[in-house]
Amino acid sequence: MKRRRLLAMTLVFAMIAAALGACSGPSPAAESQAPSPAASTAPSAAATANEAPVKITYFNTSAEVNTMFENMFARYHELHPNVTIELIPTGIGEGQQEKLQSLYASGNAPTFMNIDPANVIEYEDKLLDVTMESAPWLSLLNDGAIEAGTFDGKIYGIPWSVQGYGLLYNKRIVDQIYGGSFDPATINTRDALKAFLEKIEATGMPATMIHGENWSVGGHYLTLVYACQGPATTDGTGFLDKLKAGTAKIEDSPIFQGYMDTFDILKAHNYNKADPLVGDYNADAQAFGEGKCATYFMGDWLWTVMTTLKGVDQDYGFLPVPWSNNPNDYGNSQVVMVLPKFQVIDKSQNTPEQQKAALDALQWMLTDPEGQQFFLDAGFCIPYKNVRKDVKYNSMTTSIAQYAAAGKTINLGCFSYITGDAWTQTGNLMLQYLAGAIDRKTLAEGIDAYWQSVK
Amino acid sequence: MKRTNKTLTNAGNFAAFMGPSLITFTCVLLIPLLYGVYLTFTNYSPITGSQDFVGFSNFTAIFTDKEYLGQFVKTLGYVFYSTIFCNVLAFVLAYLLTSNVRFQNFLRAGFFTPNLIGGIVLGYIWKFIFANVITLIGKSLDYGPLTTSFLTNPDRAIWAMIIVTVWQYAGYLMMIYVAGFVSIPRDIQEASEIDGATGLNKLFKVTIPLMVPSFIICFFISISRGFMSYDLNLALTNGQPYGSTRLAAMHIYQKAFQANQYGIGQAEAIVLFIAVAIAAVSQVLLTKKYEVEA
Repeated sequence: MKRRRLLAMTLVFAMIAAALGACSGPSPAAESQAPSPAASTAPSAAATANEAPVKITYFNTSAEVNTMFENMFARYHELHPNVTIELIPTGIGEGQQEKLQSLYASGNAPTFMNIDPANVIEYEDKLLDVTMESAPWLSLLNDGAIEAGTFDGKIYGIPWSVQGYGLLYNKRIVDQIYGGSFDPATINTRDALKAFLEKIEATGMPATMIHGENWSVGGHYLTLVYACQGPATTDGTGFLDKLKAGTAKIEDSPIFQGYMDTFDILKAHNYNKADPLVGDYNADAQAFGEGKCATYFMGDWLWTVMTTLKGVDQDYGFLPVPWSNNPNDYGNSQVVMVLPKFQVIDKSQNTPEQQKAALDALQWMLTDPEGQQFFLDAGFCIPYKNVRKDVKYNSMTTSIAQYAAAGKTINLGCFSYITGDAWTQTGNLMLQYLAGAIDRKTLAEGIDAYWQSVK
Repeated sequence: MKRTNKTLTNAGNFAAFMGPSLITFTCVLLIPLLYGVYLTFTNYSPITGSQDFVGFSNFTAIFTDKEYLGQFVKTLGYVFYSTIFCNVLAFVLAYLLTSNVRFQNFLRAGFFTPNLIGGIVLGYIWKFIFANVITLIGKSLDYGPLTTSFLTNPDRAIWAMIIVTVWQYAGYLMMIYVAGFVSIPRDIQEASEIDGATGLNKLFKVTIPLMVPSFIICFFISISRGFMSYDLNLALTNGQPYGSTRLAAMHIYQKAFQANQYGIGQAEAIVLFIAVAIAAVSQVLLTKKYEVEA
């Protein structure tokens, strides 16, 4: 009896072992994805240009434009039949970081991808450093753009879109109140902003709106404090390093105090004052678009929501968020311009042929007029010098572009170094401050404690 | 000779019937669990690929993670209240729906339906109700507390979670209690009635003692589900306002996948696993004492 059971168990475990053995080794299916010598010698109808067929994958975190990339890759395949690009899409609000981690952990790293700057730093060791020799077309980039994609002296991130944020205002409403004579350049001190908001509020309309979500008040508003330490990226990162080391306290920074004073003013005129933490992105966009409040601390990505709404205004512009009463202080007359995403190429799990194919595809996507048109049609502002001059952007992007042309932008380079759960943790503190649950001193101590806990 | 053949046949049968499930169980449960325990002793990260042995430092880190401890206590409260309210409501519903009311079957199906809706969808539906419907009612009645959303106040948001959990599970547990009520032998009930037991007396002295097995199952389900609640938490509050409603499971997820501290996240998951096991098993052992034979 006993022996029988033993035999059965042995059999079962043998089966398990066999099953596991099949799981572990390199699967033949995965191998065939890479262009193997066998595949290239086989007669292939697709390879018209006598080139070996290459299959590469693209991981996209700009979830709202998955279709744009799909169409782009289909067209590229028509032009280059030997190259097949497979899109690995992600959804809005889906765990994008987690998906990329699992792709890497399972040995299926995408050949090239569109990711956040913070991820570029995390994955730096695995990414191909692009040089001017390997990609001479990078010289077509606008001034300053290449610096943003340079990490530790090497170009890992290829820039492809420019976004900005600040205090959006509804031109129709402000023109009504000012009788058409409003000049956004006059808002360059906190007092000027205060007078502006009070003038609007006097008409009975809430003057501004704060989006009660941690990415907005933490990721965007609080980041201004770091970015405005100075125009160089190292000014911001240097300040963060001091906070991490505990050698500086954020409370002692006049910029922090200044921005929080401004925050108090915005808070007092907040459309969502009665229930500041609702944080309903679509409802807030709707309210702002319908003119229920005059200004909104947000970025030009808001436009993608505006296009889905009916009966909303079309004319918007950006205002700076001044933190002091000196018009010459850095940040008082500027709005944020940021390269929110980069194109990067993996070198750790892809063959040199695949890396080359990805680089060629990027060249076509970003510098060929046909490739660029896909981005322009989707409403992106791409930072390349050879973009058609007659292209017409929406009012929000136009406003950012005007600030950029006048050199009045805040360098948000340090944004790339605000990684991990910084948004959630410091953002949650900002939300508590917004709701009046904690005072400024507690807020400052919480922010210090967070940064000191980061290694 | 014959004997060996029989042995082989039996072994073959065992492998054929038990093998597939045993393999699946080993692959998807046993190995990940053991590997998970192993990961708690390393500084694993899929990004850097590091997997160095770090001893018990992940476990000591838990006790300095004040946030996790706070959220663990909050989870205990959530589990306690949702278990109590779920079971009380389910029991009352089952009692009413087995006492020959009209439309009994229709009502049973109605109360059971919420359980068929997934946690995520449910979360979004209730988010809309709390944020838009209730505030609209509050504004039209001009009743202060209802004019702001339940989900923006830390104390009320956790109660919103409990309300939705009760709404979701009460119907499910009700079905188990209904089965319990129905299975009480008719003759015992009649005997107790002849002996003069009526109403509440009959309920507490006869019905409830005979339904202890149902209580064991229902408490086990609500306790273990409460501890591991994640989907509802994500869809309804997503930890908001300012992280105050993050339950243990959500904290673990964020620690591992967003703060990229896998080792600590995994260690916290193991601690949660042990806590759930202790709570569930001790509950079963305690209530088993009250089980009676009919």
